[in-house]
Amino acid sequence: MKNIYIILSFSLLNFATLSAQQTTLNQNTTAADSLAQSLQINGYQRILSNLRGIPQGVTIGGYGEILYNQPNNLNGELDVQRLVMLFGYKFDDRVQFVTEIEYEHVKEVYVEQAFVNYSIANTVNIRAGLMLVPMGIINEFHEPTTFNGVERPSMDNKIVPTTWREIGIGVSGRLDRLALRYQAYLFNGFISHDGEAGKLKGSNGLRGGRQKGAESMVDQFNLSAKLDYYGIPNLRIGLSGYHGRTQADDAVNDVLGSDIGVSMIGLDARYKWMKFSARGQYVHANLSDTEAYNTFTERDLGSQLEGYYLEAAYNVLPITNKQRLDAFVRYEAYDTHKAVAGNLTKNLAYDRQEWTTGLSYHMSIGTVFKVDYQSKATGLADSQYGQFNVGVGAWF
Amino acid sequence: MSRTSSILFLISSFILLSSGTTFNNNALAKRIQKKVAKEVKAIFSVEEFELTDSTITIPSSPFLVGQQMNEIKVNDELLGYAFLGTAPSKTDTFEYLILFDPSFTIKKATVLIYREDYGGEIASKRWLSQFVKKQSNDAFVFGNNISAISGATISVQSMTASVNHVFSSLKNRGITAVGQ
Repeated sequence: MKNIYIILSFSLLNFATLSAQQTTLNQNTTAADSLAQSLQINGYQRILSNLRGIPQGVTIGGYGEILYNQPNNLNGELDVQRLVMLFGYKFDDRVQFVTEIEYEHVKEVYVEQAFVNYSIANTVNIRAGLMLVPMGIINEFHEPTTFNGVERPSMDNKIVPTTWREIGIGVSGRLDRLALRYQAYLFNGFISHDGEAGKLKGSNGLRGGRQKGAESMVDQFNLSAKLDYYGIPNLRIGLSGYHGRTQADDAVNDVLGSDIGVSMIGLDARYKWMKFSARGQYVHANLSDTEAYNTFTERDLGSQLEGYYLEAAYNVLPITNKQRLDAFVRYEAYDTHKAVAGNLTKNLAYDRQEWTTGLSYHMSIGTVFKVDYQSKATGLADSQYGQFNVGVGAWF
Repeated sequence: MSRTSSILFLISSFILLSSGTTFNNNALAKRIQKKVAKEVKAIFSVEEFELTDSTITIPSSPFLVGQQMNEIKVNDELLGYAFLGTAPSKTDTFEYLILFDPSFTIKKATVLIYREDYGGEIASKRWLSQFVKKQSNDAFVFGNNISAISGATISVQSMTASVNHVFSSLKNRGITAVGQ
């Protein structure tokens, strides 16, 4: 009995597929439906006709944030910090092309992501192109409605150089039973020397070395991987790793100190229960051969970078409301001179602490109005100053 | 430089080999059939069963772009219902299956096909178990009786809204679990 069912259903499926090749998507759905009715077919066969309703083709989305920063005793700044347009195209159920075009400060155009995703199964996807490096929370999840604070956490600028993206290839997937997501990629590395000057420096570590997929130089590939575990209700924990060496221009490639080794590890956690939410992140990077690099380039790159932050938030509106008003506080400490090699002395100005407290008012899912105050200090005496920030962001 | 080229060569040959298999909607329907059958067998402890169209239909909504309600029968005895829904994720759609008992209490909720990478965490068995044993006069509130998954908010809200829509449509038809 069961076999007859299956044979019948397969012959119908084949028929429907043949007719699909000759008609448009909509016409075909109708054809499959009327076929279904005339033959009194069972539920299984209708699955096919329903699936034909799946939208294929273009996806459009985007996000943007417009910010106002007002430091104490200095002029303020108003900026369309970033406007990102997402265009995706789904070729079939397994192959998708995803792009994000980014405008920074209105006039600088970048491609933030451009990759092909080939889904072999839920458990295995192959991706190739310009992709985000999975390190910590913000580099992958940075749409303005997903984090508190007008500005991204500062360590996600100075330690993890967000938005950190490079060209590469890799695998990603989920293991539903284990509540585990994995990602592993080979990327081109940072550029440490472009033939004229060293690109990495003490104040912001690796940030100046991002190649962003623009005529990127590659000498050897770097490995990047992340595991996310979400099996404990309300909690998500991430472990990221990055290992490799920087790249240097051919003109200086053989010079001692033109490149350095990079090993970075990150731990992050996000928790959300009822009206309370919290997140934290710790990132540590070991940079090798920085003494030779600093000698060659006359830079002041540290040999260790380290930072962490902890944040807690509480939604003051009733949980059944569509709107949310999160009051939050965040403490951040990060040091791009956690350790230095050779004769370099630690610059205490690179040892930074920040308190940020403010409100995120989610007017709807996808829009947010943010206001906060930041108190920043460094390891130097009398270094404390404050900054007031306002921003509006949207994600669709 | 030669190490780089050999890595590239290995990767590209892997892609070429794996793309040799072609997939189409037939294969997809087959995949769904297999998964539905597996779930029904496990949840209702039966080896053979029939799946037939139910007269109950749920209207479409922004969170339910495709749907079909089936009766699960063995020798004309109604074991329950299998509801297959298509809901939106961030840039795509996904298929989920809900198995009901005859009084429309959820026995199992599962994600059958999840296409995009973003938000796939909703397929976690543990997260989906929050829907089990609920009846059509229940309502799910994201963040209250449905926990959040950081990094999958859009799909979590979509799935929650989709199941709520199914429940309220059943309720509007006067289908509520009584005497349970």
